[in-house]
Amino acid sequence: MNKYTLSKRQVVNELSTFYSFLAGFLIALIIGSVILLIQDKSPIDTFSLMFKLSIGSVNSLSSSLNKATPLILAGLGIAIINTVKLWNIGAEGQIFMGAIGVNLIYINFQLTSSTSFIFLLLVSAFVGGAVCILIPAIAKVLFGVNEIITTLLTNYIVIGLTIYLVNGPWKDPGSLNFPAAAYVGKEVYLPTIFGKLSYGFLICILFTAFAHYLKNSSVFGYEMRIAGGSEMTAIYAGINAKQKAFLAMLIGGGFAGLAGGIELLSQTHRVSTGISQGFGYTAIIVAAITGMRPIGIFLVGSLFGALSIGGSVIQTIGVSTYIADIIQASTLFGALVIQFFFNYQLKRADDG
Amino acid sequence: MSNKFLETRNVTKTFGKIKALDDVNFNLYKGKIHGLLGENGAGKSSLMNVLSGIYQPEKGSIYLDGQKQKILSPDIASQLGIGMVHQEFRLVESFSIKDNLTLSKSNIYKDNFLKSFKKYSEIFALNVNENEIISDLSVGEKQKIEIMKLIFNDSNIMLLDEPTAVLTPQETSQLKNSLVTLAQEDMKTIVLITHKLKEIKEFTEIVSVMKNGKMVAKDLPTKDVTDNQLIELMMGTVKTSTVDKDNKIGQIKLNVENINFIDEVSNIKKLEEINFQVKSGEILGLAGVSGNGQVELANIISGIEKIFEGKIIINNKDVSNKGVRSRKKLNLSYIPENRLGVGLAPGVSVIDNSIVRDYFHTKLGPHLSKNKTSNFLESLIKQFSIKAPNPKAEISTLSGGNMQKLLMGRELVGDPDVIIASQPTRGLDVNAVDAIHNLLIDQRNKGSAIFLISEDLDELFKLSHRLLVIFEGKIVKSFNTTDANINDVGLAMAGASE
Repeated sequence: MNKYTLSKRQVVNELSTFYSFLAGFLIALIIGSVILLIQDKSPIDTFSLMFKLSIGSVNSLSSSLNKATPLILAGLGIAIINTVKLWNIGAEGQIFMGAIGVNLIYINFQLTSSTSFIFLLLVSAFVGGAVCILIPAIAKVLFGVNEIITTLLTNYIVIGLTIYLVNGPWKDPGSLNFPAAAYVGKEVYLPTIFGKLSYGFLICILFTAFAHYLKNSSVFGYEMRIAGGSEMTAIYAGINAKQKAFLAMLIGGGFAGLAGGIELLSQTHRVSTGISQGFGYTAIIVAAITGMRPIGIFLVGSLFGALSIGGSVIQTIGVSTYIADIIQASTLFGALVIQFFFNYQLKRADDG
Repeated sequence: MSNKFLETRNVTKTFGKIKALDDVNFNLYKGKIHGLLGENGAGKSSLMNVLSGIYQPEKGSIYLDGQKQKILSPDIASQLGIGMVHQEFRLVESFSIKDNLTLSKSNIYKDNFLKSFKKYSEIFALNVNENEIISDLSVGEKQKIEIMKLIFNDSNIMLLDEPTAVLTPQETSQLKNSLVTLAQEDMKTIVLITHKLKEIKEFTEIVSVMKNGKMVAKDLPTKDVTDNQLIELMMGTVKTSTVDKDNKIGQIKLNVENINFIDEVSNIKKLEEINFQVKSGEILGLAGVSGNGQVELANIISGIEKIFEGKIIINNKDVSNKGVRSRKKLNLSYIPENRLGVGLAPGVSVIDNSIVRDYFHTKLGPHLSKNKTSNFLESLIKQFSIKAPNPKAEISTLSGGNMQKLLMGRELVGDPDVIIASQPTRGLDVNAVDAIHNLLIDQRNKGSAIFLISEDLDELFKLSHRLLVIFEGKIVKSFNTTDANINDVGLAMAGASE
């Protein structure tokens, strides 16, 4: 009797994540095409229209990158937390909390210099995200409560809090009963370059570099890797594993909070339930596809931003926007399957 | 001794090239308590796993009540009335006692559960309600439930793998009474696997001894054999290779004073009044069967375990209240018994693992210098001839020997003043063992004080100047290796009193 067994490969190609992504994306395009063909739409026409309207001009490219900004920042946060082998499913809530943090400071303080005021607001966005993950982080390090559950649950709490705020204390009387807070003043809008591209994207580049450095070249990143590999090894090495996990969670939450703050100051300009369109969840896909690599997250996040923009415009030719979601999700699925075969090989084993 | 209840004939089981069981004949007699004695790796557990259907032997046959049986799975074993209590309990922690006891389909006391539960609670001196949840029980209570589970599943042959390892002395003598009652009143056939001579003497009527996968003695009546005979059978002839021990011995480097330690979880006293010194250039061996307090002692000396009584003095500095890192700064190195999981972090790269001890020397502020770390790894690879072609590969892609060389190299490269080496050669092939021994001797000649914890008497006799024997958390004997008798050491390890 012959059996097949899976064995871990000794050496994994360093570019395997990249190849897996390409293969996954190809698989996703094929799946998308099949769905389009079933609906009697031409895949080639649809995809080329998506391409044109998402990156075909400076304006559309700017929209795509603005859309990518929260995905990338939240994805980086997830990757930092994953350095200690923990999962942040709560980026969505942290994004909302970042925006709430911005509005809280905005309505209570006033600085004359708009540059320093914007800076203060971005800091409060970061702090808001960190506060949002504080309880899951404490529960994790003190009681070992599974962070996947707690970070997921905080999403519902924070979205509930947002609904309360925009229907209650922060409700804008001028919003014609639409549940939203008042708009922030133009003086705190993030400036733009090339017409539409927000400074938020530049901040995003900066934070990508920072996350890359933190994860790969800093002592803190090293200690996080050891703590993530084995808590016992960390204790043996004199590394406070719990402290590293706690800090990683706060920093990662802060990244997602910053995403919410930038989204408010550059796109929505007010707190409402529309601050995030599932960015926190899509960010998980982005981070997972790239194997938690910051530069990969930047690139794939940008592509996914473009896909969202492309997806939203193809409605004009009668194709559902969900085609973009399907492509995003199938990319992850395809990439994970392909990555599996990079990491493992199927061997025929003799009985025994 | 009349009728054999269970008999194995010429059972052989191999794993790769290693013969775990080599032509093993083993007999069990109805209503008797049997002892199965042997060192770690002698094949005791493999034999029990064959009887309980977990392993299938390549050769040989098993007879139960004169009938040839093929025990292809644990399920079949349990139908035949063979049950085993493993060292790691197999209870459903979140279920009640009653649910655990009545879980199996071969359960025979479903209808009159309470009556039987009362009866056996009395036999086991167990004072808990049947609705208690397993996770609320103490270790000793859990074990009683494990053994009771066998009775409730109608097992007539009960295989107990080191049942006393987790028990206090009082619980151990209680267990003995329960087992005797079960054998005499219920005609249960019981096998006790142990390294402890005292328990063989107290618990069993018949003893068999295994060594290197072979049954070296079977069906010995316990009352007629002496401790010395058993030890000789168990240890065999140890080849006592030796190295030159006339190197220069200097000042005291490590001083361990009056260490007492109680494990918080089980509330069992793990270490009692431990005192010793190790001098520069000296190798002090600690002999003992695993689980007699060695890990706890090593953790206390290295600073991992912080709550204990007593003093640890390294280089004349009292570090009892200091953490891991300040002891490392006093140039202490610790090679832990658990290589992958404690010494090395699984899932992390070779290069990251290579700097676990020294990374705080290679940093520049918050920055970890890539040049410095890769130079460090390169020099380790050269100096200790480690085969690790890809620094970024995950650590577990290295062979066991290379992992251990990386770990040793990392800990030895700074010429530490004090080295604690715990089971440094366990599971390694002959060449790797020699390489590791040479590293330790080199280090000794450079003036390190080495505390060598091992189960391997050959290794201890070969390397160490002096030898301490630990048994149940106490140093029971000390020897000078030049004039010590290996059987005396073996007797002390097995807990035989004079």
